Amino acid sequence: MEIKKTAMAGTLESSDLQIMLSQGTKGIEFDLTSDVAKQFGDDIKATIKAVLDAFGIDNVLVKVVDKGALTPVIKARAITAAQRALDIADQPQWEVL
Amino acid sequence: MAADERLRRTMMFVPGNNPGLIKDAGIFGVDSIMFDLEDAVNMNEKDSARFLVYEALQTFDYGDAELVVRINGLDTPFYENDIKAMVKAGIDVIRLPKTENADMIHELENLVEAAEKEFGREVGSTHLMAAIESAMGVVNAYEIASASDRMIGIALSAEDYTTDMKTHRYPDGQELLYARNAILHAARAAGIAAFDTVFTDLDDMEGFERETKFIHQLGYDGKSLINPRQIATVNKVYAPTQKEILNAQNVIAAIEEAKRKGSGVIAMNGQMVDRPVVLRAERVMKLAKANNLVDAEGNYVEK
Amino acid sequence: MTDTIRDIYLNNPVSKKAWQQFLADRGITVFADKEVDTIDQTLGLYDDRDQLVGTGSIAGKTIKYIAVLDDGSGASGARFNQVVSALEMALAQAGHFQIFVFTKPQYQQSFEHVGFNTLAKTDYGLILEKGTPNITTYRANLPKKPESAQTVASIVMNANPFTKGHRYLVEQAAQQNDFVYVFVVNQDVSLFATAERTKLVQEGTADLDNVVVVNGGDYMVSYLSFPAYFIKDQDQAIRYQTALDASLFKEQIAKPLGIQTRYLGTEPKSHTTALYNETLMAILPPEVTVKEVPRLTQTDSEQVVTATAVRALIKEGQLDQLTHLVPKTTAKFIQDHLAELQNRITKGQNINGN
Repeated sequence: MEIKKTAMAGTLESSDLQIMLSQGTKGIEFDLTSDVAKQFGDDIKATIKAVLDAFGIDNVLVKVVDKGALTPVIKARAITAAQRALDIADQPQWEVL
Repeated sequence: MAADERLRRTMMFVPGNNPGLIKDAGIFGVDSIMFDLEDAVNMNEKDSARFLVYEALQTFDYGDAELVVRINGLDTPFYENDIKAMVKAGIDVIRLPKTENADMIHELENLVEAAEKEFGREVGSTHLMAAIESAMGVVNAYEIASASDRMIGIALSAEDYTTDMKTHRYPDGQELLYARNAILHAARAAGIAAFDTVFTDLDDMEGFERETKFIHQLGYDGKSLINPRQIATVNKVYAPTQKEILNAQNVIAAIEEAKRKGSGVIAMNGQMVDRPVVLRAERVMKLAKANNLVDAEGNYVEK
Repeated sequence: MTDTIRDIYLNNPVSKKAWQQFLADRGITVFADKEVDTIDQTLGLYDDRDQLVGTGSIAGKTIKYIAVLDDGSGASGARFNQVVSALEMALAQAGHFQIFVFTKPQYQQSFEHVGFNTLAKTDYGLILEKGTPNITTYRANLPKKPESAQTVASIVMNANPFTKGHRYLVEQAAQQNDFVYVFVVNQDVSLFATAERTKLVQEGTADLDNVVVVNGGDYMVSYLSFPAYFIKDQDQAIRYQTALDASLFKEQIAKPLGIQTRYLGTEPKSHTTALYNETLMAILPPEVTVKEVPRLTQTDSEQVVTATAVRALIKEGQLDQLTHLVPKTTAKFIQDHLAELQNRITKGQNINGN
């Protein structure tokens, strides 16, 4: 599924993660900025990808700026961004949580 | 009423969209953690905070703290989704802001029950509390406090209340005197907890201690906090004295003695020990243990 | 413990004064109306004692006037991130997911650390962007030069409207090169709208097979639009602005697209344009050669062909003179739309600029 509009969630504050989803051209593409990209980059991407999969989003550009977010924070930010990008921010997909 | 005798001295507010504060909220040893989806969260970030608190509740360890979430008010578009998300997350208590009457609690209860059924949670497992923030709320405090078996407490929220009363907060708190007493009476009559409002000036620790001593004297269960720096002061004010502890230990010893003798009547110093006395003794011992004032043998630990 | 973001209303003189003082204490001292008036929203960061500890503003999709208190507590980085983050949220709310910032060189790392990408850098300042679309997606959407093309040239023009002078410049480039990119300035502030200008350039060069006409996007900005509110000296500000534009063209456009030459028309009349050309000649070589082509003069006089002259004729309604100055395609468009163009001028559209 394609997203309906560009959307952002999260902040640049410590322990948080900022994620932006925009129209993709070739599947799920990541652009990750993180101080811990070497150790945790793959985990961060996997957490986000799992959320996108759950929403059925398979063609999207994912720009991520990580400020040391833990997994639940990454997941929450990805869910928020996905809901916003699909234009259903006010209709949470409970089964995805 | 769902009141139990758990300690509720400290209820710390944690902004619902701040991952740093949310992840650390469990390390300070507060009795209740209140995740705020309402005033602390920008209008455009309500969805964000809701999911963040949801995920945090699934993962982070908050120990024995009672977990409370302040949802957005009944008149907002966020209200129903907040309830669903928090019930699904298995929150201990939902706090309704700006409560004016019992009907608001009934409406909340209906939605909570529907959500419990939808998400397969035990019906009745989600407790409720109400924040009273207006003259109408104070006048209706008892009907609010007794509106549901799920109610565990009511709280005074002084910022909006003083605005409604056409005044503002003063250092001596005279403007809150009636509301504090009315809310406390309603809570006690309904058999639930009473929480005092926040104290916002972090630089005035003396004023904070004075206010805490005052609401402790009135009989409040505890105080709402905006910063971990305020925790120790409240715990100190609520700590029992050596004399109170010794007395409580004696009450408990008398109960055991009666049990051992198979006697139905508990007596101490020739007086019958009735239920309120027992409850108070148990509460004092809880407070003593929470403050590490007794060792394993029950000896008083000098601080 | 937590700093909070609140709006600062610059239409409240008291707030504006405090904001200016905070910035001035941090070395930002230029509050010219043309900079301040473009601000859409200003945010302040306040600590738990209600002191202003940071601020930033947005103007369109640009972040401006950003500064944070560095009291040595180590909190300045966190404050910077919180301000940028709040600004990005405000921009997202306004529908902007592509963000620019023009700032001093010392802030390059701070911005890159929160996901910004440096587009161009000079001694005076730099321009960064974040989000999508971006320079990568812009380049990806441009037509590619044929593999056989050995020499590639480019021209950047506003073409307000497309004249015989522009045509002459394009012809020169097309004759001397295998492939030519004509970038039309995207900024929509001219008498002829961006779509109209682009269409007339396309029509006026349709017969030249090795020429492609594309929109310059946000990257071939008219240098006038680069803010320089942190540079006090006017001359220095112009040098900064033109140098940024030149360096952005060189690094982000010319090099990746394999453009070896940029063609310019000489500018005998405008001092600032002359200065701009000077900067291009200083920065683009040796990787990109700059070729200045003398202006075409009218067939029967020494008058150079300029778009300014064309706009003056439109205002006067003297269309009989047009064919000396513009190609048939442009002339036809003007004839068909004369009333509307004149109406725009009457309504206050400036025709003496670019």
